[in-house]
Amino acid sequence: MTKEDGSPKRDNFTRNLVVAVVVGVVLLMLVPTLVSKKSDNSAAIPAIASVKDGYGISFNTDLASAPKIDIYEDFQCPYCAGFEGLTGEYIDGLIKNKEAKVVYHLMSFIGLESLSAANAAGCAADDGKFLEFHKLLYANQPKTENSGTWTNEYLKAAGQGVGVSSQKFSSCIDDLKYANWTKNIANEAGSKNVNSTPTIFINGKKIDNAKDLVSLDAFKAAVAKG
Amino acid sequence: MKNSIEKYSPWIGLISRLILGGVLLLAGYLKAGALDKSQMAVRAYEILPIGVANFLGIVLPYVEITIGILLIIGAFVRYMAFAGGVIMFIFIIAISQAWARGLTIDCGCFGGGGQVAASETKYLPEIVRDAGLVLLSLWLIRYPVTRFSLDKSKN
Repeated sequence: MTKEDGSPKRDNFTRNLVVAVVVGVVLLMLVPTLVSKKSDNSAAIPAIASVKDGYGISFNTDLASAPKIDIYEDFQCPYCAGFEGLTGEYIDGLIKNKEAKVVYHLMSFIGLESLSAANAAGCAADDGKFLEFHKLLYANQPKTENSGTWTNEYLKAAGQGVGVSSQKFSSCIDDLKYANWTKNIANEAGSKNVNSTPTIFINGKKIDNAKDLVSLDAFKAAVAKG
Repeated sequence: MKNSIEKYSPWIGLISRLILGGVLLLAGYLKAGALDKSQMAVRAYEILPIGVANFLGIVLPYVEITIGILLIIGAFVRYMAFAGGVIMFIFIIAISQAWARGLTIDCGCFGGGGQVAASETKYLPEIVRDAGLVLLSLWLIRYPVTRFSLDKSKN
């Protein structure tokens, strides 16, 4: 410690060994992470998810002439809950009356509970209850992110709340059946330069949240304008 | 004066190493726990092509962790200080250009990031903090011999 005069003969073996271990461990973590982030073409996806629409849960995409609304959201994002509260009924109406194509892109960047929720929503979609489940989760969004509220048991109970109680639904949640699907959604969203949620595209054009989401009327006008 | 620098510089160097290394380690650790967000944060600067930004969003946290650990244990102090300083300098440029272009983003320095409301940007404090870290790295490049370091020579 005291002889720090930089003489070249001093032994740096210990330091070099420690550095090699540190760098080695980091690489051992980094490389599999890089590989696992790649999209997985063979991933299981919910029946109503559409690969060509960025793996989103899609409604009415076979309509010939109707505006297309792409919604990028994360179940834990507070502004997304606000968006759902503001426009949920209206969008449900558009879907039921076949007045718009609507695609929900369930992102999970906020954390593991977003992943669990997105997966569970995919499971609920297989029982035809996506919109109901979607609404229920936003209505019960925890105040803080990743608070431990959205456990598998919670999500199963939420499913029962909207009439999904099949064995298939619970094992879909327990197995995180659609985990790789959410990864593909994330990659697709990234390729569309989605950097915050909610991000809404109408006919492929990103709307301005500061202007088009101030009220339901503003959003309706944006949809009508196309 | 020269004597007092010789006397105190190893201690100042130790503190600089711990601050610079600690900040890098913490920043990398927080980002590595939420890589989707990290990728989003890099994309939001709108400098790099999306593919490159996504790659950097994954690699950068691990680079920060590595430099952070090596600075804390005091291995290759001069080189690691240089690398850390270069990273901070690039951050300053990236944040400045976002500010100048009127983007409204969070720097994503400690996780988080992406677009935020205009009222939530805090570009100036972010730049001042990173500039302070650049100064620490310059000190370590000039005086790389520090207390409690694994380095046995000046490099």
